[in-house]
Amino acid sequence: MSLYGRKNSSGHGSKISLFKEPYLLINIILAGVILLIFAYSGFFSPEKDNYPVTCIHEIVTGQQCVSCGLSHSFSLIVRGRVAEAYTWNQYGMRIFLFFIAQLLLRVVFSIFYLKYTGTRKQLIILDCIGSGIIFVVAFWPFIAIIISGILPPAS
Amino acid sequence: MEEVKNNSGQNLGIAALITAIITFVLAVIPCVGLIAIIPGIIAIILGSVGLSQAARNNSPRGVPLAGLIIAVIASMISFSQIFVAGRFVGHGHKWPTNIENFVNDVQDNVTKQIEDANVSIKVESNGEKVEINTKSNKKDQEQKLEDLEEEATVKSDSIQKHDSTQKHVIIRKKK
Repeated sequence: MSLYGRKNSSGHGSKISLFKEPYLLINIILAGVILLIFAYSGFFSPEKDNYPVTCIHEIVTGQQCVSCGLSHSFSLIVRGRVAEAYTWNQYGMRIFLFFIAQLLLRVVFSIFYLKYTGTRKQLIILDCIGSGIIFVVAFWPFIAIIISGILPPAS
Repeated sequence: MEEVKNNSGQNLGIAALITAIITFVLAVIPCVGLIAIIPGIIAIILGSVGLSQAARNNSPRGVPLAGLIIAVIASMISFSQIFVAGRFVGHGHKWPTNIENFVNDVQDNVTKQIEDANVSIKVESNGEKVEINTKSNKKDQEQKLEDLEEEATVKSDSIQKHDSTQKHVIIRKKK
């Protein structure tokens, strides 16, 4: 597998092997995983309620968790029914936007990685920090619950 | 002479990093957080093998090391979901008690309102009408009600003996 990078002094694009550039390979695979999530949301229908993933938390505790209804929410967002998506899970939209942002970031950072060969290290650091911040912002309601679960209860 | 770059352990490192990133995202979601420990362990194994291979062949260790670190953190988050579930179960035990307390509160409020209310008792039997309006306390009301019921029973027995037909007892509550 190979890609063509920035044109060199002779005017020809330099051939880049994906296996020698782990960053590009990781970006492509992660973009593929995100596309699979969208395909999952589009394939399974909220009307038929045929989702294969069931909430482990609900099975264990017998109570619904904050992420219950996320699959329904994603499916409804993919179908353009945003208002209904909020009724299934209020955090569905922000997590869906996280995946959209990540898909765009994978594409943009891969292009920049190929184009600006001199700043690759800085680009990877920027990607890690940026993705980390977006992740925390998008998943904060879930992270907060984990933190409250670990910390001892306030007396 | 150009130095040949050895990429031993890189592929395992990439696999570990991707698995670790996916595990990290899954681990944070409570619905699937508990089962994220499985890919987490896989990522740790891949990262460890990749790191050992890279160390043995003196090749770059960045990717397998990053994969290993993220996998360990993701597994810890996934493991912590057990505590979150435990906390939920802990709260769940309190819910029946809370519901019972709520029902008791409502019952107490209703009883208190009845105690404080003005009560009007009307007894009609064969054209005879008795009406009692009272604002007294609960014990007095209960005593009066018992007296009236006894009286009504005696009358009803006598009415039944004489084949009388109608008897109405109307207890009306006035706030």
